[in-house]
Amino acid sequence: MSHSTLPDCEPNSASTSPEQPGVLVVRKHHFLVRWSHWLNIPILLGLILSGISIYWASPVYQHKPDPNTGNFDVAADIGIWICAHVPGQRNYGSPPDWIYNHMSLGPGMLATALRLHWLCAYLFMLNGIVYVAGLVRGGGWRSLLPRWTDLLDAPRMFRYYVGFPFAKLARRQWPHPLFNTKYNALQRTAYFSVPAAGLLSVGTGWAIHKPIQLHWLAALFGGYNAARVWHFWLLWVYMFFVVPHVILVFADGWDTLRSMIVGWSTRVERSEVVPNEQ
Amino acid sequence: MNNKERDDSLQRKDITSTGVALLVKSVSVKKPKRFFEERSLPPIEISPWRLRYQSRRDFLVFGAGALATLAGAGFLLPQDTLGRLGVRRNVDSPGKEWFLNQALRIDDDVAEALYSVNRRVPTYTKSQITPLKNNYNGATPDPGYIPGWKLTLDGLASGLGISLDIRNLLTRFSVHEQITRLVCVEGWSAVAWWAGLRLDDLIRAYPPMSRAKWARVESSVNLDASGNPDPYYMSLDLATARHPQTLLATHFNGQALTVDHGAPLRLLVPVKLGLKNVKAVTGITYLAAEPRDYWAERGYSRYDGV
Repeated sequence: MSHSTLPDCEPNSASTSPEQPGVLVVRKHHFLVRWSHWLNIPILLGLILSGISIYWASPVYQHKPDPNTGNFDVAADIGIWICAHVPGQRNYGSPPDWIYNHMSLGPGMLATALRLHWLCAYLFMLNGIVYVAGLVRGGGWRSLLPRWTDLLDAPRMFRYYVGFPFAKLARRQWPHPLFNTKYNALQRTAYFSVPAAGLLSVGTGWAIHKPIQLHWLAALFGGYNAARVWHFWLLWVYMFFVVPHVILVFADGWDTLRSMIVGWSTRVERSEVVPNEQ
Repeated sequence: MNNKERDDSLQRKDITSTGVALLVKSVSVKKPKRFFEERSLPPIEISPWRLRYQSRRDFLVFGAGALATLAGAGFLLPQDTLGRLGVRRNVDSPGKEWFLNQALRIDDDVAEALYSVNRRVPTYTKSQITPLKNNYNGATPDPGYIPGWKLTLDGLASGLGISLDIRNLLTRFSVHEQITRLVCVEGWSAVAWWAGLRLDDLIRAYPPMSRAKWARVESSVNLDASGNPDPYYMSLDLATARHPQTLLATHFNGQALTVDHGAPLRLLVPVKLGLKNVKAVTGITYLAAEPRDYWAERGYSRYDGV
């Protein structure tokens, strides 16, 4: 696949019958942006699953060992609680491992998890470079830059999205806030923050991977231990982003989802109110 | 693609497809004023045939990529994980180990490029000292080995094997102190106050053979989890061995080392992960080729630089 930009020099265009009208589209996503977008799914999944397996070896959140079980890991406590209270999990074989069995590669496989984590981490950094290259080549980076008006408009969009299902149920009017940019303020904030979180994940990752050689980097995040906490919570940034992101893409419709695969969108009139834009 | 290119190609299109108005609609001609200002997306007209062809191609490539990713995940994920996902068939292959080890080698090479023999490890003050747990992988050895303990040196320039007791070491070499961070592969770390002789001083006193590039550091008193002998061996490049902060520690937090921390002599190499900081060192052998490493054979890095 050499060119995924839309055709502009079209050798066969003369053969299309003149009666057939053309379709109006806009180029929405550069092909490097689209590729790196989708590659993030397996790479981030690999990083998260192996990352929680690594977390198992030395949990950031610990308490004094329980006198009966010797357990000190808060994640194990949560697993024990789930097995005690969630129907269908009562007979789970190893309650302290519940979290690790469901959210990671599994407990007790540090060596494998580390190797997978490094593999995915290098792919993640390469993918980030591809993404930025796509933003630069396609000019899409300008649409992601935050602006002062976002401070007011992003909460407005948030209110719109949260209230939308209730307004539907109550059959109330719920007008979409107006905007005439590629993304609305909340999308822009999210699509700017997530790559920034990616950069921070890479930074904190290096800081805890090489805390002696890169001790200045660890110091930037408040030291080795603080960098581990940062690295852990950055994982939740992706989690908190992905859920509404996926819901809203599907809510918004086929054109939005398709545009991330094919690059073009038929929504050409940006200057008017877009009824339900993801 | 910038606007100029696009304009050029659109002109070309105008010429080739005569009679068809392919360039339509109010393409926002308004030039953006500032560099950072968002540009509006110019509408372009495209033949439905072409659009269908391109979209079909992109969807097929996307589907192929998704299948390849699934296959890759099945190839790379540990058997335990796949088992929990319902894959009962054994898909472990030698290729998986090979591939993951290659990825590990890339990381090792990057880490080695970051590493500088001359760079000092950050040191701390006594108020920053944190507790250090006994993290012997197996059982902690019975202290009975300590009175008869000896350090043997092999692979020396003299061709002889040397055997030293703790009194020899403490009287012949000057003692250095440092408060450094010990980082464990598991993720935890501890700032501790160590004292001992520099390995570099020992190397000067008993020079390795000229071809030597590596040291094999071992502890013959190491035990496995059930208390059976499980000798520990670790590879260390000579450059790191000669780093001024690489110690053969005899004291920890102002006291003589206890058995928990590898009495009577522990290798302290703060530029490496804790697993290279061999407790109760009983032998050092200098070698030309990289020796075996206990944890590298168990899937961890062989370099382990931090």
